[in-house]
Amino acid sequence: MLNKKENIPDIVFIGQPNSGKSTLFNSIAGLKAVTSNFPGTTVKHTHSRVTVKGRLFNIIDLPGTYSLNPSDEAEKVALSHLFVEKPDLIVNVVDASILGRSLEMTLELLEIESPMVIALNMMDLAEKKGIKVDPEKLEKILGVPVVPTIASHGRGIKELLERALAYFDKGLKPTKLSWSKDVEDQIRSVKKVIPDEFKKVANNRFTAIKAIELDRPSFNQMLGEISAPLKERVFKARDNLQENHGVPAYEVIAAERHHLALKIFEDCCQLTRRKKASFSERIDDVIMHPFWGYVILISVFISFFLIIFLVASPIEEILLGPLTEIRETLPKYLGTGVLFYIADGLLQGVGGGIAIVLPYFIPLLLLMSLLEDTGYLSRVGFLMDELMHQIGLHGKSVSPFILGFGCNVPAVVSTRILESRRDKILTSLLIPFIPCSARTTIILALVAFYLGPVWAVGFYFFNMILVAFLGRVISLFFKSPSPGLILEIPSLKTPSFSNMIKKVYFQLKSFIGFAWPILIAGSVVLGLLQFFHIDKTINLILSPVVEHALGLPEELGVTLIFGFLRKELSLIMMLQALGVNYNQLLSVISQQQILVFTVFLSFFIPCLSTVAIIWKEIGRKWAMVSIFLNTSVALLISFIARLIFIGI
Amino acid sequence: MISLIKSPKEKELKIVNISGGTGVRRRLFSLGIHKNDIILLDSCSMFRGPVLIKNLTTDTSVAVGRGIASKIMVDIVE
Repeated sequence: MLNKKENIPDIVFIGQPNSGKSTLFNSIAGLKAVTSNFPGTTVKHTHSRVTVKGRLFNIIDLPGTYSLNPSDEAEKVALSHLFVEKPDLIVNVVDASILGRSLEMTLELLEIESPMVIALNMMDLAEKKGIKVDPEKLEKILGVPVVPTIASHGRGIKELLERALAYFDKGLKPTKLSWSKDVEDQIRSVKKVIPDEFKKVANNRFTAIKAIELDRPSFNQMLGEISAPLKERVFKARDNLQENHGVPAYEVIAAERHHLALKIFEDCCQLTRRKKASFSERIDDVIMHPFWGYVILISVFISFFLIIFLVASPIEEILLGPLTEIRETLPKYLGTGVLFYIADGLLQGVGGGIAIVLPYFIPLLLLMSLLEDTGYLSRVGFLMDELMHQIGLHGKSVSPFILGFGCNVPAVVSTRILESRRDKILTSLLIPFIPCSARTTIILALVAFYLGPVWAVGFYFFNMILVAFLGRVISLFFKSPSPGLILEIPSLKTPSFSNMIKKVYFQLKSFIGFAWPILIAGSVVLGLLQFFHIDKTINLILSPVVEHALGLPEELGVTLIFGFLRKELSLIMMLQALGVNYNQLLSVISQQQILVFTVFLSFFIPCLSTVAIIWKEIGRKWAMVSIFLNTSVALLISFIARLIFIGI
Repeated sequence: MISLIKSPKEKELKIVNISGGTGVRRRLFSLGIHKNDIILLDSCSMFRGPVLIKNLTTDTSVAVGRGIASKIMVDIVE
């Protein structure tokens, strides 16, 4: 582990998606948590250090997983972390409102026999659903501390940590729970023949269970290489189970866990369920309605932009005032030498970030996390599934697409949740056409600000139609159909404001630390290019495209090159290149030209980070295809836009 | 025994068989959908979209595409 040498114990947080695990983790880790990639992967994890009763611990937030059977990349990462790094203590975050299901993974975790504590989260939601959980009884059955928590309100956290510490110190182990006799017999028979050198994963029983469950060609081959008798015994056990139960061995074991989980659930819960549908269920009936669901979806979508625009544009105007004033006084103090160009570039980078980017970016992040935290996004996946089929994908691709509205980079990474390579490639090629937060900022700051919010919404709708059209066209090249959708619809939740703020804070921190320096450096470089008149050469080279094909001022050529680094850079540089202030923009460029510029900027080459991640995820060939596809689509669409709006 | 897509809405159904590939079945199990569970077919989205399974046994909701739904066989609970 990262800090094994320093002897700081590791505590990992593991739980099913939507169990409130990350909320719990964040409220413990506070604002000093650091996000980084797992070694050798791009799956992110957050870690931090906490002091409990004067002792230091490393806490690690693992990606949410439904089971310990690796079926996607994030789950593989969580698993390998559990087995390779062998954490000192596991905190299993469990959604009390769906305890029967959540306990299935808890039972799997108990099989590892590592010290473990259960955070029985979302107790408030469980009560609302009429489920009264008795934590003490659950604790008795499982043999591990069970602490009720409500992570969104920060309740139960102190007790969780203290009990975890006490348990850790005592070195206690969970109760061994057993299954039906015939299943246990098969496990025992495999356990007996596991050679000593095979003891890598947890204990022998766990290893035996996993060996029986993991019926995959590559794994079977590996078994044979390690020990022929073991392989033979595992195959025999699988056959016996299948013969006795009439279903494959992995299903027998899954059913065992399921039944045990349900039995424990019944033993320690009282149901006071009302016959009447709960309030959130009634909301669900409306927002997932075959007709009203779509009406609401479109309204949510439109209000999303209107709210951001109504909040951001007045702030932008207020902030632009002082920025313009400072810019105008610059030549007085610095003359027109190189110093002026550097200072002007700096001012544009810093000031443009504050006045033009942040006013749109912050409300955008807030609203995104609101939609995410309420659980509305998975409902969008449900509603959009059919539409996705029309473009050759299924609803599961909705979630990478939705992430793409934030940033294309994690969106491409998240295509790992798609089981087939075909879907992965198709989705990764389409993601760069999804307007990320940087491009949304540009659309709002240029199109909405100068042409009106209706134009920005229209732009977005056009963008969606373009994605659908491209999907349809690209999927013609991939013959095999897409596998079906399986998507959990978690219950609706009231989002916690402080949690949303925390999320925005983390995203903002990464913007300030990563993107903003690029914006500032880029603006300074442009200042220098202008001083040495290199920009003119670049503009001249690009003028056949920029001026003749697209009908834009020649000076904008250089800004497009920088847009490859960060799309916002083109926005900020636009003013610098044209030599005007934001409020004078319309004196040098028409509304129609702004529109064409935004169209080109939105669709041309995905930014550097996106190209890099596509390269890494699906290979160089597809990264090149992506660049080619985006650039040609951008040229074509913006040329058409020019013909329609500007004329020849 | 009828396939889930042909089942009536708002009626309690018992899962009697789940066929299909290993990957799909494992995924369904881990999301809490098993044989013998009592479910409700909730809403069907417009056109030929996915179906929403409300699992009354585990109290969870899962949306599945029509292809997968056609491989889940159920009995109507009287």
